[in-house]
Amino acid sequence: MFSIGVDIGGTFTDFTVHDRRTGRLFVEKCLTTPREPERAVLNGLEALARRIPGLEAQSERVNHATTLVTNAILERKGARVALLTTEGFRDVIEQRLEFRYDVYDLFIRFPDPVVPRQLRFGIEERVYADGDVLTPLNEAQLLEVVAELKRLDIEAVAVCYLHAYRNPVHERRTAELLVEHLPGVPVSLSHAVNPEPREYERSSTTVLDAYVKPVVSAYLERLSGELAQRGIRRELEIMLSNGGSTTASTARDYPIQIIESGPAAGVEAAIWTCGQIGIADALSFDMGGTTAKLCVIRDGTAGRARKFEAGRVHRFVAGSGHPVAVPVYDLVEIGAGGGSIARLDQLGLIAVGPESAGADPGPACYGQGGALPSVTDADLLLGLLDPAHFLGGQMALDVAAAEQAVREAVAEPLGISVTEAAYGIFDLVNETMAAAARLHVAEKGCDPTRLSVIAFGGAGPVHATELARKLGCPRVVFPPNAGVMSSVGLLTAPPSFERVLPLKLRAATLSVAALRQAVAPLRTAIAATLAQPEAAVTFRYVAEMWHQGQEYPIEIGFTPAEFDEALPRLLAARFAERYRELYGRPGDDTPVELAGLRVVGDLPEQRLTEVAPFAPGTARSLGTRRLYDPATKAFHDVPVIDRAALQPGEEIAGPVVVQERESGFAIRANDRLRVHASGAVFVELG
Amino acid sequence: MARSLDPILTKILWNRLISIVDEAATGLVRTSYSIVVRDYHDYCVGIFDARGNMLAHSTKTAPGFIAMMPNAMRHFMQVYPVETLREGDVIATNDPWIATGHLLDLTVAAPIFLDGTLVGFTVCVVHHLDIGGRMASIESRDMYEEGLKIPILKLYEAGQPNETLLSVIRANVRMSPKVLGDINAQMAANSIVIAGVRKMIREYDFADLEALADTITRLAGQSMRARLRALPNGIYRNEVRLPPVGALTEPMVIRVAVEIADESVIVDYEGSSPEVEAAVNCTLPFATSYTAYGIKVMVDPTVPNNAGCLEPITVRAPRGSIISCNPPAPTWGRTVIAHNLPEALFGALAPAMPGQVIAACGSTPLVAMYFNGRKHDGEEFLSIISHCGGFGASADRDGYGTLCFPYNTAAIPVEVTEADTCLVYQRKEFAADTAGPGRHRGGVGQEVVFRVADGSHAPPSPVASTLRGSPRNPNSTYPAFGRDGGGAGRGATLTLNGNPVPQGGRQQLRPGDEVCLLLPGGGGHGDPLTRDADAVRADVLAGLVTRAGAQADYGVLLEGAEATIDHAATSILRRSRSESLQTAAN
Repeated sequence: MFSIGVDIGGTFTDFTVHDRRTGRLFVEKCLTTPREPERAVLNGLEALARRIPGLEAQSERVNHATTLVTNAILERKGARVALLTTEGFRDVIEQRLEFRYDVYDLFIRFPDPVVPRQLRFGIEERVYADGDVLTPLNEAQLLEVVAELKRLDIEAVAVCYLHAYRNPVHERRTAELLVEHLPGVPVSLSHAVNPEPREYERSSTTVLDAYVKPVVSAYLERLSGELAQRGIRRELEIMLSNGGSTTASTARDYPIQIIESGPAAGVEAAIWTCGQIGIADALSFDMGGTTAKLCVIRDGTAGRARKFEAGRVHRFVAGSGHPVAVPVYDLVEIGAGGGSIARLDQLGLIAVGPESAGADPGPACYGQGGALPSVTDADLLLGLLDPAHFLGGQMALDVAAAEQAVREAVAEPLGISVTEAAYGIFDLVNETMAAAARLHVAEKGCDPTRLSVIAFGGAGPVHATELARKLGCPRVVFPPNAGVMSSVGLLTAPPSFERVLPLKLRAATLSVAALRQAVAPLRTAIAATLAQPEAAVTFRYVAEMWHQGQEYPIEIGFTPAEFDEALPRLLAARFAERYRELYGRPGDDTPVELAGLRVVGDLPEQRLTEVAPFAPGTARSLGTRRLYDPATKAFHDVPVIDRAALQPGEEIAGPVVVQERESGFAIRANDRLRVHASGAVFVELG
Repeated sequence: MARSLDPILTKILWNRLISIVDEAATGLVRTSYSIVVRDYHDYCVGIFDARGNMLAHSTKTAPGFIAMMPNAMRHFMQVYPVETLREGDVIATNDPWIATGHLLDLTVAAPIFLDGTLVGFTVCVVHHLDIGGRMASIESRDMYEEGLKIPILKLYEAGQPNETLLSVIRANVRMSPKVLGDINAQMAANSIVIAGVRKMIREYDFADLEALADTITRLAGQSMRARLRALPNGIYRNEVRLPPVGALTEPMVIRVAVEIADESVIVDYEGSSPEVEAAVNCTLPFATSYTAYGIKVMVDPTVPNNAGCLEPITVRAPRGSIISCNPPAPTWGRTVIAHNLPEALFGALAPAMPGQVIAACGSTPLVAMYFNGRKHDGEEFLSIISHCGGFGASADRDGYGTLCFPYNTAAIPVEVTEADTCLVYQRKEFAADTAGPGRHRGGVGQEVVFRVADGSHAPPSPVASTLRGSPRNPNSTYPAFGRDGGGAGRGATLTLNGNPVPQGGRQQLRPGDEVCLLLPGGGGHGDPLTRDADAVRADVLAGLVTRAGAQADYGVLLEGAEATIDHAATSILRRSRSESLQTAAN
């Protein structure tokens, strides 16, 4: 019985297979195929199936994460979107909230709107705040606009009418007409994407949903079909941005929900690692080919938010991106990865990213035709990667191509050596990440000197020690399988789905019987999604509560056993307790309301809990490698050790390079390496 | 043994203080009952040390609170000396001459005790929905018409609420459950700061906040002084004439002399108009806040604000002037004056900081209107509407459209206002040709149209309101000025059912009444005839500049459906325009 985690990054697609009978983990990594991302998934599965007999037929679960959404937004490579709004309100996404996110900075920047003004159209219609129709939808005018959209070669349409969250009748009718007259062009409706008031956040979220929909939807449809053909029974799961899951068919309809699926999988993995090694406070550092993700973990868990921002344009400062109203882990993501391209900016200074060479053409050293120097090329030239053993030797790296790219784009124009240029690229990308991390850590009120950096992702281990040094973190942890860690994170959470019942009930007088009745169909739907009888599913409930007139609910969990006549009293007591915990004092006499009830169903036995004991190999020295030392500005021969051969409890003093199949890292002269019983490597920085 | 405050730990703990007040601000928003806090962000949370020095304030804040909180703190400590305070005490006031310049804001402070020792204070200011009186009118003739004044009193005593004071408030304000609920939210914010500061001090094994306070205020002060020293010494002057409001007939003069003297700056408003019989007068603490903000944002914007930043700044104003009125002058709409102070300073200091000063913002000053009435279902509401013109252009880029300055309140979403009131928006969009032309143009202004619901959603009674628009009409004494050859922003009209209405007058709005507000664009920067013709074309394609505007303001001629630039005709037109301008100048 197997569970499969597949994480597609901008550059690599990572796989973890967990055999529940033996506890064994199998991992795999292959190049992402950006034009048809499912190719890489199928290639990897085939490779795994050769190693694991019966894999496809006996797979219970495939959980998937992909950075396709976020990369499309960061690199502004989404669809050509038109936005339909209520007439008179077509500038909502560009007017924003009219305030400055930094009160002291007169020169702050905001992102350019995803839909330019020429592609925003006002439609005559109006719904009142209570849902009554004030002005009917002018279908004749709408059809004129649709004809214009056809002429403009629009690839996706976002519709955001005022108060559609209350009454979506006009958005629905608009969608019908669009489907009829603009067949094949996907449509995103605001009431379905983000059914909440506040037109700016809802418009922004809807527009981004449309922006990524053509690429994500087509991809997931193809992948689901391929997996079904291979005999995998349960519908493909996609990780949500807050670590929960959804089905591929829902994700196709609302792709913005999975915007942070990859980073969320990484956070799940880091939280799991913290549990394995027994530390409470950490900085999760996940650096792939295209982006780096950083997330503070406190007391063994990461914060969640109901909103986040995509594509921040001003020094990563909160407020400088596009708001996206989806539940997420509270992390920062920046356009800095192994594929980030180095160039000279208009002032003639080195700049790195956010543009990425991705997987195709990839860094120059991949020898696939990429001519621009990337961070990976710099890493290679500094001796941080082994040209012969990249991906366990599957992929030879072309040192000459890397050298040429760095020389032409950076070294020669600046009149410096190739090594100096490579180190400049390496140092700059580390500094860029450190700046974002400092801000995030400060926002959370944490002290970096008390955080261990948990390093993973294809490029994370290579850059983690220098990042940690810049931040003042004392220790870096390299979990086993660091290079494919996010795909492990896809298996550490159980298959889990939730449905929300919107309510507006006085908590003190609610009818438990009526509520149980209202919840029944949601339970049935969840069980159907999990392809299990209802009795096999573990349910729990989360009540969203507030004092009437407030707008931010407090979440109160309860179990099915507690769903009885005593529930109102139990909710009142837990609400009061939690309110005091959060705000340091009791609320007032205003009645407490139940604003919603979330029903969560999962299959806990299918999560990854036990892992087969760490089994060190015997091979040891892999010879030496010439590694650049910034202190002496020279290359020195440094011993290379095979990670698979490290023994638990073993301690080694730097300098040394540790090589593993999916990644590797170098430690400096004053650093010390120690191997934890779980196989994780701790490096204490000197 | 406490760790020494090396540069790294200092930075960490400085950030920690800011994150504590930001967390408290989040708690305030989450427990609040009003849109003014939740969506409008009219609040501030601060941390002070035991001596009353401000150490940090929330990232979201109105600049009007930044220098006034220290003043309120000093008064609090005079009335209630530190040694008399107990854990659980909360001190409050809304005295305009001590705190925020009008009665609507309640400033509350609570001591932070650690193991029985007072180590600091938390302060939270919130703009409340109502404080009684005439409600948000510039027609009030004195403070007594403006509502309930709360002298410095204890709102809580050793954790016990002062029920007498709370019931007086409850009996005197509109929407009292929401007002009382928001006072409770201020208590929550204070609790979060107290818990956060205690945790931080314990975690690092400090005895109190003093060493940290000394270090970060010293660093901030050094930085501000170094930046001031880099400016040429001298006295820099400016004068602006604000158009009359309400029943006034004469312009109001703001005269300012900014003296840069080595490492300090003295801002003197001598010569400004005497206080007026309209509720727009500033009190000195409030004017000081906006003055300090103007200096900081121009001279040393990046260092997080604390007492040290403010220390080299001295503000003087004649008693009994619009900048420093005497009690009991009416002050409700003091932003009509105060919001112009940073720009007046910019104008004065521009010669000392060539190329670094932005053009005027069409959003200056705040345009806010209050509405009190009932929805069609009978529920009472009291709501604020505020929208912005465009930001000023700078030497290297266009201004953003619809962006506030110098205040920092957010536009309340249309959907939130409509759900809360009986108002229905008809339109809220950028208005073409409002941006002040320039090599870099100002931010675009907007047109906002809304009406009182009629038909089935008509309110049962008229809606009381004070209508206000932007005073920055291009034909007035006070347009949204351009800079370095840039033109002024355009726009600025206010009509009720198509007819102009006076600023700030009280109106009874009836079902179907329609208010139209044109908010001006920001001023342009540099000669518009040198603006990149492609950028002009892009603005025309986006509908932000008309073809007529492209020709008249920028000398760019566009042809055909694709708006192709006629380069030959454009260069001839630009040359002749530029020559005739030079001739006119000579």
